[in-house]
Amino acid sequence: MAKTVRLGNRLRYPITVVRLLKQPGNKIKKQEPLMEYSFKWVKEVGDSIRGDTWEEEQTTIVNWASPSDGELTNWHIREGQKIVMDRIAMEVVEECSHEIQYQGLCAMCGKDMTEVNWATETRDTARAPINMVHDHTNLTVSAIRAQRTERDLQRRLLESRKLSLVVDLDQTIIQACIDPTVGEWQQDPTNPNHEAAKKIQSFQLDDGPSDLARRCSFYIKMRPGLEEFLKTIAEMYELHVYTMGTRAYAQNVARVVDPDKKLFGNRVISRDENGSIFSKNLQRLFPVSTNMVVIIDDRSDVWPRNRPNLIKVSPYEFFKGIGDINSNFLPKRHDLLTSGSAAKGTKKDKKITSEPVAGGDDSTLLKQQAQEQEREFEKQINDRPLQMLQEKLDREGEEAEKATVQSDDGSESRASSPPPQRHHVLQDDDEELKYLQEHLASLHRAYFAEYDESQASQPASNNDVLAQVPDAGRILSDLKIPVLQGLKIVLSGVLPRGIDIYSSEIGLQIISFGADLRPKISKDVTHLVVNAAQPGRDKLLEARRRPHIKIVSQEWLAACFTQWAAVDETPYLYTSRIVGEHGTAPGGIPSEEDEDDDDEEDEEDDDTDNADGSGSKTRRLANGKPLKLRLLSSSANGQASGESGDDTDLEPGLLPDELPDGSSSPIDGLKTFNWGSADEELAEFLASGSSDDDEDEDGIDDEEDEDEDVDDAQPEPLSANDSSLLTTSPTAGTKRKGRSSDDEDDDDNDNDVDTVAVETGGVNGTPAKRLRRTQSQRASSLRNEYVAGAATATASDRGDDSGLPTPSRSEGQDGDTDGQKPAELGEQEASGEGDDDELEFDDAELEAAFEAGFEKEAAELEAQMVADAALEEGAMDVEKG
Amino acid sequence: MFFLHNLERTVTLHPSYFGRNMHDLVTTKLVKDVEGTCAGDYYVIAVMDTFDVSEGRILPGNGMAEFTVHYRAVVWRPFKGEVIDAIAQTVNPHGFFAQAGPLRLFVSAHLMPDEIKYDASATPAQFTNNADMVIEQGTHVRIRIIGMRAEVGDMWAIGSINGDFLGCLQA
Repeated sequence: MAKTVRLGNRLRYPITVVRLLKQPGNKIKKQEPLMEYSFKWVKEVGDSIRGDTWEEEQTTIVNWASPSDGELTNWHIREGQKIVMDRIAMEVVEECSHEIQYQGLCAMCGKDMTEVNWATETRDTARAPINMVHDHTNLTVSAIRAQRTERDLQRRLLESRKLSLVVDLDQTIIQACIDPTVGEWQQDPTNPNHEAAKKIQSFQLDDGPSDLARRCSFYIKMRPGLEEFLKTIAEMYELHVYTMGTRAYAQNVARVVDPDKKLFGNRVISRDENGSIFSKNLQRLFPVSTNMVVIIDDRSDVWPRNRPNLIKVSPYEFFKGIGDINSNFLPKRHDLLTSGSAAKGTKKDKKITSEPVAGGDDSTLLKQQAQEQEREFEKQINDRPLQMLQEKLDREGEEAEKATVQSDDGSESRASSPPPQRHHVLQDDDEELKYLQEHLASLHRAYFAEYDESQASQPASNNDVLAQVPDAGRILSDLKIPVLQGLKIVLSGVLPRGIDIYSSEIGLQIISFGADLRPKISKDVTHLVVNAAQPGRDKLLEARRRPHIKIVSQEWLAACFTQWAAVDETPYLYTSRIVGEHGTAPGGIPSEEDEDDDDEEDEEDDDTDNADGSGSKTRRLANGKPLKLRLLSSSANGQASGESGDDTDLEPGLLPDELPDGSSSPIDGLKTFNWGSADEELAEFLASGSSDDDEDEDGIDDEEDEDEDVDDAQPEPLSANDSSLLTTSPTAGTKRKGRSSDDEDDDDNDNDVDTVAVETGGVNGTPAKRLRRTQSQRASSLRNEYVAGAATATASDRGDDSGLPTPSRSEGQDGDTDGQKPAELGEQEASGEGDDDELEFDDAELEAAFEAGFEKEAAELEAQMVADAALEEGAMDVEKG
Repeated sequence: MFFLHNLERTVTLHPSYFGRNMHDLVTTKLVKDVEGTCAGDYYVIAVMDTFDVSEGRILPGNGMAEFTVHYRAVVWRPFKGEVIDAIAQTVNPHGFFAQAGPLRLFVSAHLMPDEIKYDASATPAQFTNNADMVIEQGTHVRIRIIGMRAEVGDMWAIGSINGDFLGCLQA
């Protein structure tokens, strides 16, 4: 193989080739002079002490030494040539290309590759940089070699119609623990766990990571159905073990799982050979192409570069609370989907904080982690967590039994023999592998279907067989995406605050299954996934108000991920109440229906309110005049006059505590509310107008930005039934008037008022809602200004509501919210699009009014400023005087 | 190749061992320290005897006694070109690893007869010529060393089974 050799960067260019010492055909050795060249340089000569120096140009002739062994075939330079920069000098055919190296030795010619030579710029060891053998780190190959090996592998796999499957051990196909209790349970037939413990196999590491690990037994529980699973899968996949345990551990486990070495052979890679202590990397085994590789692992965060090829399985937890005994070497996991493990996760959290961040010195870090693991081992051996668990279970069981016995027959003492049905900690009820087998089989089918298709379409010569190998990662995602497609999922209480849901483990998984992950609840959300242990309050409350949102526990998500199907939500529905939720109707259904659609507005109004609030505060500071926040919120709400906007604490359950003592509850009105008619109305409304709303919603928003201003005051379609509901508002309003105006929560509720009204009138009153939303988005810009002016006006006692440049219609609207709603408004709503024109018209009017208000205000301000300035000047004059 | 080699080593002894059978203790300690180690380019296989144990000198500061021991040991020094018997340990597509006593060798697929090919579908994987020659884990092989490298505590070698009477031994 010819190799081109360059002159190198170290020569003092420009140079002139003086003589070629070797001719093509000659054998050359490293460091042997091959040619002579000359270069010019400047030397300072003379007496440097007296300063009597001058520069003289010198010419020096040097030998150029060969950087390479072999036979010289061709010179690319000739005698007398002037060379100004590094370039190719010659071609050499090497005897050995040193493509495979073992611990610094070329495995093909036996030469020592670590020799450093002054004639060469690169080291020979760099010629074989890739480490792709499972069980040795010191055998390296060159890129070309790796490619060739991999091509052979792929060809062989394709012939036998197999794929490669990289299998993780801990918590994926087995679970290990070192709690000696397991051994005792195995010995003791009376123990309730004996049955389950019988199937546990154990080994001792003779070269364990530490003294302690050497002494203790490792108990290995295979995942139920593992043998069958592996046997079936091995026909479709070539299996590799990739674990973060030590080599000895991995081999022992492989021996337990696969005693004949039929499945894994010696394709076992462990932490010792991994090269990285933080992550696994398919490129370690398949440096060139991962197109035919699939991974099963219970953790996806350890595969940062190979996520597409990964099938994440739910962790196998047979020994409760033990987790992964090799997890110390991995970053902390926060992808657990079972609520039960949340507590464990937090515990780990604390521990992890003491760990140094990645990127430190690997050896010390490794040592530290090994110590950590040892501590953990020691703890497990001493504490015997399983025994403790069992004792706890026993105690609970006894108590329960005692209770029943006593209730049955108080005088009877407990039976002397232990109860026959003792609870046991070890439960072997995992079904993951069953599903996993199906998934892998279907992936295999899909893969080879595609492969056959591509083969049929263009029969390929042997060489480009590999060019058309389908990508297993892509096919995997093609299979996964339809699973939850179309679902729009919101998470609540599942992830810690401050974590980006889209980059979180669960988030990525949700997305990988084709579902749409949403940060907030909105109208089209279909599922709210809550952490049953600690549900998030706000989103849950919001979702409760929308009957079409299914509120499910995390286990539903886990089940979907396991089964690759949108499983029936019914068993996973989250029904329990949370604190502060009282006041909702039982089952939450009627009131939910009632308030179905307003949540979105709540949120957005919230934001704008806040913005308004802060804005107005600063403004107040600037002006030196107090502004009324209350007014702001009300105007944001819809230009209702201060009173009518404020008084709307109709949201049941949200803020019950804020009602002043003794006052009538704002939901009193609901008690007499005629739900039946509301339902009818809802049904009618849904039937009539909801179909097109969803479609044009996005598009129309912008156009309607203009309209929205009016819309605040837009009358809500109210049916006759609502009067009872609305009558409550004035009382609530009057009560609340006295309260401090900067209460954000109040603002929140204020917004709810009119939305509640909407809902009661005709649920899904989409146009109105849409308008309101856009309005609230806008409220932060123009409206703020305007409002400030209005507020100042009020503050300066000039203005009652007349300071508000509300169009004439708003009078009537104010009236509405106060409880007298003209029927025509309902009609207007019903007419749907028709009122848009009208709105536009109003808009212009309103804007004019704005303008007027503005100018007025501006003028006033200016006057004020001038006056102030004059005063100041006067003061200064006085001082000067 | 095995040699009987005269060697010298300094052994230190803790004061608590000072007494009549001090020299025995020194020998015991020597054997424990050197047997089975790799000293540069040879392995110390066994210590035959010590023929000269010097007087002990107390080291200032910690009270340990220092002896200079001259001893004879059986050492094994593998040479380039030497033919040795080894046992195949693991087989991979690039070649196989073999263990000859303390020395680990790698035999690359290039250094095998042309008819021997890697067969990954066999369990366990093997190199075979589909006839009498099957090299898998545990096979005894005769290997010629073609390259060696030593570092402080260890040695590695590259072997070849390309040659007459080399390769699988069971055949």
